Formats: sequence, C-alpha cells, structure tokens
Amino acid sequence: MANDHLSKQFDNELEALRSQVLQMGGLVESQVRGAIQAFSNGNLSLADQIVATEVRVNAFEVQIDTDCSHIIVRRQPAATDLRLIMAVTKVVTDLERIGDEAHKVARMARQIHEHGVVDVQHFANIRHTGDAAVNMLRQALDAFARLDVEDAGRIITEDRVIDFEFKSVIRQLITYMMEDPRTISTSLDIIWIAKAIERIGDHSKNICEQVIYIVMGTDIRHTKLEMGADGKMFPKA
Amino acid sequence: MNGLVLRTMAMLLAAALGAIATGLLLADHWGWALFCTTLIALLAYHLRHLALLNRWVSGASTDPIPESSGVWDEVFAGLYRRHRLEVRQRRRFARLLARSQQAGRALPYGVTILGPDMQIVWCNDSAEAHFSISRESDIGQPITNLVRQPEFAGYIKSANYAEPLEIATARPDELILSIQMVPYVDSHHLLLSRDVTQAYKLGIMRRDFVANVSHELRTPLTVLIGFLETVRDLKLDASRSRDYLNLMAEQGHRMQSIIEDLLTLSTLESALQPPGDERIDMAALLAQVRNEAESLSAGRHSLSVEVEPGVDLTGNTGEITSAFSNLANNAVRYTPPGGSIRIQWRAAGDGAEYCVTDSGIGIAAEHLPRLTERFYRVDRSRSRETGGTGLGLAIAKHALARHQATLAIESEAGKGSCFTVRFPRSRVLAVQPRSVALN
Repeated sequence: MANDHLSKQFDNELEALRSQVLQMGGLVESQVRGAIQAFSNGNLSLADQIVATEVRVNAFEVQIDTDCSHIIVRRQPAATDLRLIMAVTKVVTDLERIGDEAHKVARMARQIHEHGVVDVQHFANIRHTGDAAVNMLRQALDAFARLDVEDAGRIITEDRVIDFEFKSVIRQLITYMMEDPRTISTSLDIIWIAKAIERIGDHSKNICEQVIYIVMGTDIRHTKLEMGADGKMFPKA
Repeated sequence: MNGLVLRTMAMLLAAALGAIATGLLLADHWGWALFCTTLIALLAYHLRHLALLNRWVSGASTDPIPESSGVWDEVFAGLYRRHRLEVRQRRRFARLLARSQQAGRALPYGVTILGPDMQIVWCNDSAEAHFSISRESDIGQPITNLVRQPEFAGYIKSANYAEPLEIATARPDELILSIQMVPYVDSHHLLLSRDVTQAYKLGIMRRDFVANVSHELRTPLTVLIGFLETVRDLKLDASRSRDYLNLMAEQGHRMQSIIEDLLTLSTLESALQPPGDERIDMAALLAQVRNEAESLSAGRHSLSVEVEPGVDLTGNTGEITSAFSNLANNAVRYTPPGGSIRIQWRAAGDGAEYCVTDSGIGIAAEHLPRLTERFYRVDRSRSRETGGTGLGLAIAKHALARHQATLAIESEAGKGSCFTVRFPRSRVLAVQPRSVALN
C-alpha cells in the first residue's frame, strides 16, 4: 500500500496478507480452470487433482483468517488498513466457496463422464459460460491486486452476462430432458455444474465489491450501480 | 583565486591611495569618507553577486548562470563551464539509458526485473503481453500477486532456477510460456519469459500424428491378420473363404489408400517447385469432380453443380483436382441420405472461388481450427465407417496453399457446412470475352 506506516513491520504484514490472499486466489483459479477442463474433455485424473487441492484451499482460509485476527489485536488498525483486513476476511470466504464450487463441478464431471449417456460436446455453451466465469475471477483478483476501482466496477456489470448464459443453458437442458427422458439424471448433474459456474460469477462479483470498499470506503453490496457521465460506475442513492 | 585576491588587493590599494591623495588635497575626513564609500561599494558589489550565486545554487538545476561583471565574472564563467559539462554528460547518460531500455524493450523475450521481494521493477513490452502486466501501473507490485499460477509461486519459492518452467497463462487466449529466473545484481532477479505456444502445439501434433498413423494402419492390419488366421486354421467352404478374402482385400486397399495419401502429402510438403502455369480447364475438372461425387453418393443426395463459364485457373491440374474432389467427397460422406450438396465455381471479387455447401451434420465450432490436421477426427467411429483416410483435408489444404488459395470453413453442428476456396487474381486467367461465347 502506498501510505507508509511508522512501523515498517506493519506494512510488511499487510503486504504479506495481501499476497497470501492472492496466492490462495491463484490456487482457486487453477482449480476452477481445471474443473471446467475436466468437464469438457473428460480428463478424470484432473478431476481427482481438483478434489485433492480442496484441502490446501481450506488450509489457506484458516491461516489467513488467523493472520487477520492477529493483526487486528496487535496493531489495532484504522481507516484503509482496517477496511483492507475486513475485506480480506470476506474475500477469503468467497474464494473458499469458489473452491467448493469448482470441487462440485469436478465431482459432477466425473459422474457425467462415467455414465456417458449424454455427449458433452453438445454443451459447448456450458464451457463458454465456464470460461467467462474463469475470466471474471481472474480479473476480479487482478483488480484486488491493483486495487483498481474502475476495473472492479466494470467486472461487477459483467456478472449479468453469466447469469444470462446460465438461463440459456437451463432452457437448452429442459428441451433435452423433454426429448429424451433417459438423459434426465445426467441433465440434472449438468444443471448443478451450470449453477456452480453461475455462483462462481457471483462470488467474483463480491470480491470486486470488496475492492471498492477498500479503496473508497463505500459499501456497495445490495445496491444498484449506475453509470456516471464519465463512464465510471457508482452506487445509486 | 590568486588573481581574484590580487585584483581585490589592487582595488583596495587604489582606493587607499586615492583616499590619501584626497586627504592631502582637501581635508582628512574627505579622505576617510572616500575610502569608506569605496569599501561600502565594494562590499555591496560582492554581496549582490553572493546573493545571485545563492539564488542560482538553491534554484532549479536548469536555471541559466546569472550575468555578472568584474572579478565575479571569472567565478561565474568557471561555474558555467562545469555546469555545461554536467548537462552534456547527463544528457549522454540519459541517452545511453534510454537506448539500453529500448534494447530491452525490443527483445522478443519477455524481460521482467524483480526486486529483492520479487516486486516488479521494470518489464519490457513482451513481458507486458505475456503476463498481462503494465509498466505504468504495476511497478512495485509483487509478481506473484499478478501471475498467480500455483506452479509459478512454487518455482519462485523453490529458489532453484536451474531448469526453466513451462506454465499456461491465465488469459482467455491461452499461451504456453517457458519461464526462467536469472539472479541479477543486488539480490534482484531477471525473469525471462518466452512464448513456446507454437512449439508446444507442434509437439502435441507430432505425437498425435505418430500415434494416429500407427493406429490407422493397425486397425486394418488387425482385421487382415484375424481373417488370415481364420482361413489358415479353419477348413472353410469356398463361398465363406471368398467372402473373407474379399474383406481382406478391402482392408488391404484401405491400408494402401492411407499410405498413398501419406505419400501424396509428403510429396506436396517436400516439393520445392511451385506448381506450374499450365491452364486448367475448369469445366472438365468440375465435370470429373461431379462424376466422382455422384458415384460416391450413388443417388442418395441431390447434387447441383454451377460453373461460371470462362473462368480458368493456372496451376497443377492433378493437385487442384484432388483438392476439389476431396472437398466434394467430404460433403457427400458427411451428409445423410436425402440431403443436398451444392458445388459452385465462379469469379468473385478479384479472383475466383469454389464453394461446396451441404446440408449435412455440420461441425462444432471447437473442431474447426484443427480440422485440417492429419487424422483429426470429429467423431472417430463415424469417419472410419464412411471410408475416409483422415488425410483428405490435410492434402487439400496443402495443395491449395501451393496455389496461394485460402480455405475458409463455415459450419454449425446439425445445420451443414460451407467450404470456400478463394484463389487470388494472379492464379485466375483473364475471363474470355462473353461475346465470343454468344456468337
């Protein structure tokens, strides 16, 4: 962070905290990416690997939360520093949930490919939605690393695209199930995957909201964003 | 300095002499008054220049040296010379620095300089593109905050940089980077990155190719050997053994056509000479393409061929025929019975184009970029039963590339495909005047 503290040590602690969050983010990112890949090309060893990574993500969450409470107790931070720490505890929860969703996608991918009733090739749009979610998560973490409010505002609006794609996947699945009832159980699995991807988008959006909270100190959760005259987003009064 | 002291002394001496003379001529106090006035003037002169010097020293370094007169002129002139030398040197260093930074920026490799805590100190344009970082906004940011792949973090942490690391970038258009850390002055590090996507893909392609060739040849061979053993070990009646021999011959032909296609491909690839300039009679060529397609279709599809008369090509007849009939035969193979296939040849824009449109099973978008790879199959079981070797499009692409033609594929799964070959103007012979045809 730009503002220097009297204690260099404090700065280092905050910097280390941020780095830890981003490393956890990297781990979750690769998990989501792998889960989508496992679904689209049936790479089952990849799916197993993702399930195994879950443990590491959880360990990160516990570690970072402990670090946060230690900093609060020892340093009694104020203003930006306090906001950063508050935001970190929330971002970490979001990241852990994203990891859970990736885990879910991998597990479902395994089931679908083992059943092999439905050709996954027909679900190119799921992969497309998945890629969009991965991209959104990556950009959200970039915005967190750079504390870039403008980017964060832009990404929040991108979540709508994923929601829209989710609905179109559901529509496609409904026609599928009506045509051939044998595909119902697999289709239900695919719905879980689509829902998980949609949730990943939501959690990424939450991360962006925390970025805005850290920098501007305004809590924009559960508010509608408006486009300003200068193209920037700001919460509607 | 010496000159300065001497000149001041001389001035004081002159003032003293003047004062004594005045004292002798007029009165003592007039002499003292003159002497004091001279001293005060001298002091004022020095103070003024001292103030000028002070102002210049504490001002911006680019300010010009103040104007001066008398003894101070020498001092200021010396200062001016030194100042000019410094400015010139600074400019030279700036130029050198800019040049070396430009050299770093122009490198095809990504170069990122990392500080002691792995924070970004500087990076060149390639590194910006590789890691999606920016020289403007990301200086001072730890690199692992932005390049978050767990493998990369592990590599940095391991502090063992003997071997390069290959990672896939997190961007939508995934790159494969080969990354290496090099220790640098003052516990800084150089992070070198190289885009090896092409080589990586080529490696995969080569591996796939070898596996595919062996697989494609082994399948008919297994069938052949199976029948051979049956015929050898069992006593079969004449009609059964003839059936088996027919099947064996079929598989033998299959292997033969694969090998022929492979040889055609390698000839096309290794042929150095460009295809000749012989005139290709397109009407005859397309009639041949039509015949082949019709015999393959055996009346199951509605086939239409539209040829614009008078548009001919130059090049190698054999190569163009094989490319065109490959495209037409593919359309027949991948269109279910009852579908329609439309073959068009016409002048278009500057050049000419050949279009094969079908109402067949179509191709999903993710297969399109790899379609012309050897033995690439969208659906393994299906392609073999239709009797293709898996090399047709690869041959067509090579043959067309040798004629500077481009192959564009538009397709949607379930709706059909459209393969369009576009020839440049240089390959198209001037259209014969229409009036001749009318007469």
